[in-house]
Amino acid sequence: MNSAGSFRYTDQEIIEQLRQSGIDKRRSEEELFNRFAYFIREGITKHALSEDESFNAYSDTLLAAFENINNAHFEARASLKTYLYQIFHNKCVDLIRKKTTNKNSVHQAEAISDKLMLLSDSARSVVQKLIDKANWNQLREKLGQLEEKCRQLLMYWGDNYSDKEIASLLQYKTADVVKTSRLRCLERLRKLYKVE
Amino acid sequence: MDNLDYIESYFTKSPGLAETREFENRIGTDPAFAEEVAYYLSVLQVARQDAQEEKKRHFKEIYQKQRFTASVPVRKLVYYIAAAAVVTALIFGLYVFVQPPSPQQLAKQYEQANLQSLGVSMSGNSDPLETALGVYNDGKTSEALSMFEKIIQADTSYYTAKKYAGIAALRLKKYDSAIQWFEALDTYTGLHSNPAKFYLALTLMERNQSGDIAKAKDLLQQVVQDDGEEREIAQEWMMKMQ
Repeated sequence: MNSAGSFRYTDQEIIEQLRQSGIDKRRSEEELFNRFAYFIREGITKHALSEDESFNAYSDTLLAAFENINNAHFEARASLKTYLYQIFHNKCVDLIRKKTTNKNSVHQAEAISDKLMLLSDSARSVVQKLIDKANWNQLREKLGQLEEKCRQLLMYWGDNYSDKEIASLLQYKTADVVKTSRLRCLERLRKLYKVE
Repeated sequence: MDNLDYIESYFTKSPGLAETREFENRIGTDPAFAEEVAYYLSVLQVARQDAQEEKKRHFKEIYQKQRFTASVPVRKLVYYIAAAAVVTALIFGLYVFVQPPSPQQLAKQYEQANLQSLGVSMSGNSDPLETALGVYNDGKTSEALSMFEKIIQADTSYYTAKKYAGIAALRLKKYDSAIQWFEALDTYTGLHSNPAKFYLALTLMERNQSGDIAKAKDLLQQVVQDDGEEREIAQEWMMKMQ
């Protein structure tokens, strides 16, 4: 419980849970959502956004924060509230500026940028060009056509869950089985993707 | 699949200089391999976006459940106040001519309409709370109550579990137990939305022992004053219980 005596976890506990295990992580995401959900009202009153716009700005704020906390880009120099409010404020201002474009777009994930940085300039440029050619809509559609467990597995993988956590969540025997299953799912998806 | 395994190992472990050189050489000299690297990273990107969209949907469900009553734009408030005045006048008019239902009937009607099943998330994960909610929705209320109580034993500060334990106890007509859970929920003063007072009033109305209705009225009054959850229903009931 924090100093206000109302919530179950301190900032530090939430940060640790967001960086760790599956169910605790999900619960702490919800906890964080509930704790600062009043930002949505501020988006409406202070920035004159609609309720939907303000909700989207707040959700995108949390998604960006989860990613930064997970990648250890968040250094905890400020409280979570201050940190989240800064992101939220910027998202609201961005929304006001670009009100006509793509209001409901989700937070743009940068899952692969860190991975691409592991490559030298020349190799990165080759891969980036190929990625730019990818048919994202088709890939997403084919991902949706996989059997549910496969889709769930890839989603948890995309969400940075470890193989051990995925094993526990989806009731696989071991982390190794998760890895083998994931590679099979990727193979199956590639076949579906190639057919088109 | 061998290449995918190799690609995944490269990106998840810290490759040495020789491994990096070999990997990058293959990207430069083997177009099919480069395609596989791009495919692997593209799926990771799409899977990440899907996971985030799923989270956003889940947040939306939570948000809609908790209904941010104060989020109504000010310019619309005038119309709502006018509409509320008309509705209030109508309710008052009806009250004059029609005998209102008893507090116990009001409580039972609410329970039938709203507490027979409780919202579960679509995530399909194995969170014990979600499992218990599933059991509740299957009509196994007593079993669900035990599960909620176990969850609370494991984590005594889990306020959502206390809310559901209270609801399950109420459905089982274990009024004293329901009151205990809702009183415990009421101690969480910092939540932006806490239905404890409303549920306490509901339980007292249904129990209907000496002094219960007077206490329920006080609680409903507080719900209206604090703009709490189920404010509109609290207001309607106060009118009917006058």
